[in-house]
Amino acid sequence: MGDRPAISSSISRLSATTALSLLLIGCGPDSRRAPGAAADRQQTDPAISGNGLVLAVIEDRRGRPTVQLRDLRSDQPLPLRHLNGQQPHSSPSLSWNGRYLAVITQRGNRRLAVIEDRLTGRAHPLRPPGNHDPVRIQIAPDGQRLAMQVAQRGRWRVEVLDLSGMLEPDRPGGLRVTTPEEGS
Amino acid sequence: MRPMIPSPRVVAGLVTATAFSLAGCSSDEIRPMNALNGSLERSSDARRDPSMAQGWLATLASQNGRERIELIDLRNGMPVPTPGLNRADAQPVSISLSGDGERLAVVQQRDGRTELMLYRRSVGSLQRLELAPAGVPRQVSLDGNGRMLAVQVSRNGRWGVDLIRLP
Repeated sequence: MGDRPAISSSISRLSATTALSLLLIGCGPDSRRAPGAAADRQQTDPAISGNGLVLAVIEDRRGRPTVQLRDLRSDQPLPLRHLNGQQPHSSPSLSWNGRYLAVITQRGNRRLAVIEDRLTGRAHPLRPPGNHDPVRIQIAPDGQRLAMQVAQRGRWRVEVLDLSGMLEPDRPGGLRVTTPEEGS
Repeated sequence: MRPMIPSPRVVAGLVTATAFSLAGCSSDEIRPMNALNGSLERSSDARRDPSMAQGWLATLASQNGRERIELIDLRNGMPVPTPGLNRADAQPVSISLSGDGERLAVVQQRDGRTELMLYRRSVGSLQRLELAPAGVPRQVSLDGNGRMLAVQVSRNGRWGVDLIRLP
């Protein structure tokens, strides 16, 4: 008799988990191909903005892996100012409203992480102490931190950088402090 | 009265100081989070594939030759329990946290197959997501509330990206 509540609780939990599984799997998720897809063009390394409205992918452009941004409401490409000529690009990530794009670029024989501020049009190259080449990066949703995977003494490490002295927050709702003119 | 003309040595010193000051401007604005980074380094043999949320960091951390998904609370740099996330028979490939840290998309290899999974932290559940049409997933990215998933998929030897809306 004393076991009944426990059994009942287990059954309830199992039912909830099963229902969730059916919801996620049985009905089939609502999916579509990303905009910009073409038979002759491969897309890799997707990154979606926090608000789900901007997508970054790496596409081959004249044989060079190049980051492309698209507005998911209109499926139209969005312009980038600073990254041309710095291919190959890799590991893109976006802040909440897609204001900041962080991506790894090539400068000479070094890999360099760059953040492009799409609101002010400014580019921020990141040269963290230690001078290690980045392997993968990801900017936090509010743009105030960035995690960077580097190789050091033959092993992978992850370092977190505080960007709050360099970037203003990109928070849900698109609130901002400066205007484009002020930021330039 | 003779005007004061600085010596070449003073001029060189001023130029050097100015150059250091200007060069330092951008790097001074980037501050490594030393306490957190030290904790990350001490707590694993190696670490890769970082994914950031507001207040959370997920990485693939290696310890004694085994790689597992680790979720770290950025307020104190400590890992938090993730029951049901790391299976003994699965090898994680890539991960992505939702912006609020509640959901985690995982690509993992198990029994020779590559699977796309979704973990919900509050209920500790790990569910498989089917790709339609079938394909092999690789990189994943979740949006802020974990309702939209972008996933890199290989079909017929070509890479593409699917956008999946999740309940």
